[in-house]
Amino acid sequence: MSKEIEELKMENEKLKKINEVKSDLISISAHELRTSLSALKWILKMFLDKDLGKITSEQEAFIKRALDSSDRMISLVNRLLTLNHSDELDIPFDFKKVNIIKTIEQTIFEFSGEAHKKDVDLIFLKPENEFPLIKCDEEMIRVVFQNLIENAIKYSQADDKIFISLKHNSKENRIEISIRDTGIGINTKDQDKIFNKFFRGSNALEKDSLGSGLGLFTTKNIIRHHKGKIWFESTSEPGTTFFITLPVS
Amino acid sequence: MRKILIIEDDIFLQNLEANKLKKENYEIITASTGDEALEKINEPDIDLILLDLILPGVDGFDVLKAIKETENLKNVPVIVFSNLSEETDIKKAKALGAKDFMVKSNFSLSELSEHIDKILA
Repeated sequence: MSKEIEELKMENEKLKKINEVKSDLISISAHELRTSLSALKWILKMFLDKDLGKITSEQEAFIKRALDSSDRMISLVNRLLTLNHSDELDIPFDFKKVNIIKTIEQTIFEFSGEAHKKDVDLIFLKPENEFPLIKCDEEMIRVVFQNLIENAIKYSQADDKIFISLKHNSKENRIEISIRDTGIGINTKDQDKIFNKFFRGSNALEKDSLGSGLGLFTTKNIIRHHKGKIWFESTSEPGTTFFITLPVS
Repeated sequence: MRKILIIEDDIFLQNLEANKLKKENYEIITASTGDEALEKINEPDIDLILLDLILPGVDGFDVLKAIKETENLKNVPVIVFSNLSEETDIKKAKALGAKDFMVKSNFSLSELSEHIDKILA
């Protein structure tokens, strides 16, 4: 018995060390990303400040959009860094009323090239009736959709379909989202660990050795911070469906 | 003309910072490594130091320590301008005497320049 306890302790120490190394790697990557993004932000702002000469109003409009995008990326790097370092997630979220249909459409658009490249169909089953605005942090919820859609594409094959659906449960005053793919699924033995920090499913590792194992961990934390729920179904049938519920307000 | 020492190992960023601050009428001297920084801090009449933390050789923390141990520099404001943002780094820089800790990607160069104007006003 004491030998087993000793082995468990050693295993625990080993996992802690791996965790620390991965956290360091993420911090270093974030530092490098920020350095490139700083250069981009500074140059775009110099154009807008006319430090580099006059620009046309059309050029100005494009540069403003590029600057918005780089600021959004910086904000994401900042917040994901915080997520990496805090399991408690004691960071301020920016809750506003958001048109979530638009957020989903934008994310689908963002991944349309990737889906097209893999010959996978991204299908949004958009609600036909009027849909309420959702009180949430739009950038963080966008990260949730990005993570789930990216995974769905990554683990799908040519001719597969990914269905994203959304409905309003007015009785419970919440929205219900599902993202269903027909990809490789999640092995039964991995299913209880899939939301753990740095965990990577065995078949996911075969498919993509470079993932961080942070996507679903981050996703779950973001949803939890919105007082929502996330779970999945992945049976012997091909594919996985992730379900999310989020309170409307 | 007020003199600023920029300590930054990324030459591209260093040029952008230097050009912007020169336009705002500051005299600029630069260093690209920790060792070079330790030499340049001996130049006369430095009014402010902009300091990156990750530097080849001697790192930014050691440069900061050396600045604060130099009699005629200990009151010169040092702005740490880095892309690190770990709580431990911020605390360490403050403890060593940095006036401010600014994450590069969170500020434009105009904002940096305005901040320097305020400090040196």
